[in-house]
Amino acid sequence: MSVLECNGLCKRFGRTEALDRVSFSVEPGRIVGLLGPNGSGKTTLIKLANGLLTPSEGTVTVCGRAPGKESRAAVSYLPERTAIPTWMSTAQLLEFYRDFYPDFRMDAAREMLDHLDIRPGQRIKQMSKGTREKVQLIMVMSRAAQLYLLDEPIGGVDPATRDYILSTIIGNYNPEAAVVISTHLIADVEKVLDEVLFLNRGQLVLQSGVDQIREEKGMSVDALFREVFKC
Amino acid sequence: MLMKLVKHEFRATGRVMGLLFLVLLAAAVGANFSIQVLNGSSLSLLRILGALVMSAYVMAVIGVCFVCFFLMLQRFYRNLLGDEGYVMFTLPVSVHQHVWSKLMVTAVWYLATGAAVMLSFLILGYRAGLVRDILQGLAQIFRGITAYYALNGTAIVLELLILAFLGCVAFALQFYASMAVGHSFSAHKIVWSVVFFFVFQFASQLVGALLILLLDETPVHQLLLSLNFRLEGMAGIHIGIGLMAVVFAVYGAVFYAVTVYFLKNRLNLE
Amino acid sequence: MRWQFSNDAPIYSQLIEQIKVGIVSGMFAPGERLPSVRDLATEAGVNPNTMQRAMTELERDGLVYSQRTAGRFVTEDRTMIEAAKRELAERHIRTFVAAMLRLGYERKEIAALLKQESAEEEKTDVGFGV
Repeated sequence: MSVLECNGLCKRFGRTEALDRVSFSVEPGRIVGLLGPNGSGKTTLIKLANGLLTPSEGTVTVCGRAPGKESRAAVSYLPERTAIPTWMSTAQLLEFYRDFYPDFRMDAAREMLDHLDIRPGQRIKQMSKGTREKVQLIMVMSRAAQLYLLDEPIGGVDPATRDYILSTIIGNYNPEAAVVISTHLIADVEKVLDEVLFLNRGQLVLQSGVDQIREEKGMSVDALFREVFKC
Repeated sequence: MLMKLVKHEFRATGRVMGLLFLVLLAAAVGANFSIQVLNGSSLSLLRILGALVMSAYVMAVIGVCFVCFFLMLQRFYRNLLGDEGYVMFTLPVSVHQHVWSKLMVTAVWYLATGAAVMLSFLILGYRAGLVRDILQGLAQIFRGITAYYALNGTAIVLELLILAFLGCVAFALQFYASMAVGHSFSAHKIVWSVVFFFVFQFASQLVGALLILLLDETPVHQLLLSLNFRLEGMAGIHIGIGLMAVVFAVYGAVFYAVTVYFLKNRLNLE
Repeated sequence: MRWQFSNDAPIYSQLIEQIKVGIVSGMFAPGERLPSVRDLATEAGVNPNTMQRAMTELERDGLVYSQRTAGRFVTEDRTMIEAAKRELAERHIRTFVAAMLRLGYERKEIAALLKQESAEEEKTDVGFGV
């Protein structure tokens, strides 16, 4: 069964068509890049899969279920902004995730936090922006979910942090789960991906394997992207 | 899951509320001291100081009530409709559970604030004879009421307290609903929230006015008359309060439904 | 191991190439147990499925073999490693020669230049030795 499936998915905001008849599916074990310029509908798509928005038309399902209380137990979501409650200490945040997600791997989370020298008593509020982002990523990747939806995980971070984020994603790879990474920084994530989805103005213009593109076109996905989205 | 939400909600609000209660009680102790010592002083400076402490206490009482009310609204706004909403609305819990957890914690803090204010009164009057006087006065009032109306006096006071509490909760729900509706817009979310608060206010007044019209010189009114209730004074007051409680409950339920509908179907986080 | 990738070839074939270099150069010794696919993928910063694919190809070539529970090992067959080394060398030479021809050198001139180059290298090596 597909982990994520969209069928004729449309989302309109007033008169603007944020997503226009998007259909695709993501199989378990795949790491998929959701690529497109700013405003192409990447975040809208991820929000729809999380049930943070409701479709105007068409369907989106996670493990065969429409977004809701049950599907959310299977999804681990990294929003594009830092959304972890800032009043909490790291220890409280760990407890929060453990309370709500039975699949939360406490040991894995502790180990990753230790690795970054983040103390349990430290409040999120007192952390730098970069550290907060890392803590949020650790919470998201510490879950043994079936689908990881990562919205712009490497947008606006320094190269060292970017490497840390990407290696954390690879290090937590699970052949039973799928990962969807939305980004416009393709050169950085290309090597990590199995396949890519190109979104342009709300429409799905390409779904293909990374090595397939390199083999058939003799160019990187990044180069192809620049060609497709030439201004 | 609901209890887990409630647990973390208490954790989020506990520190501020605890601090608030401490400040209130400290102010009460200060005011007590000022009544007992400073006011009787021959130094005018100390007397002025005493008056200042007293007014600080009054401010603290008013402040605690306001801060409690607004803190509960701010929690709803920040936790569900701000950035944290991305984490909260992707938890495997239902929207009903979210709203109930907020409502339950809000209700508990309202009650606790009421209790803290009462306690601060007691501290204020301690040993200055005020407590005794107040208690005696109250007892006298109750005795008087009881003598006059049988047990009903105490019951009415209790009923009125419950009514006030219900009113606060229903009012909070009206705020929730306006924020939920206001934040379903793509822009100017706060402005829309304020607008909808007044729209709801207007709508509920309109409905109230219509109900009064309905009861006056209409078939409904005739029907009620024909039933020919015979209520003695006290029973009438009880039923009146009961009716008011039902009105508040319906009022709250309507806004609860609006809140849940908008959070479920029209959520539009920034 | 330093992993580097170019933009014009599939990633899995570049992985095969670089692991081969690792084996030929002795970085992965004959009979040595290789790190897990996940660890190698993390180290190289590539997709674990792509790393898996590269490993499967290397297994098919015989340079690597897997034992059901113990993991993957470099072959102990030194002639096979030699052959792989030779193949890599030939490929490098072909690209080098092609580049030189494009510059307008003749094959003889290329050989002469190479000889001259290695003589100079030796001289500097001796110099450093003293």
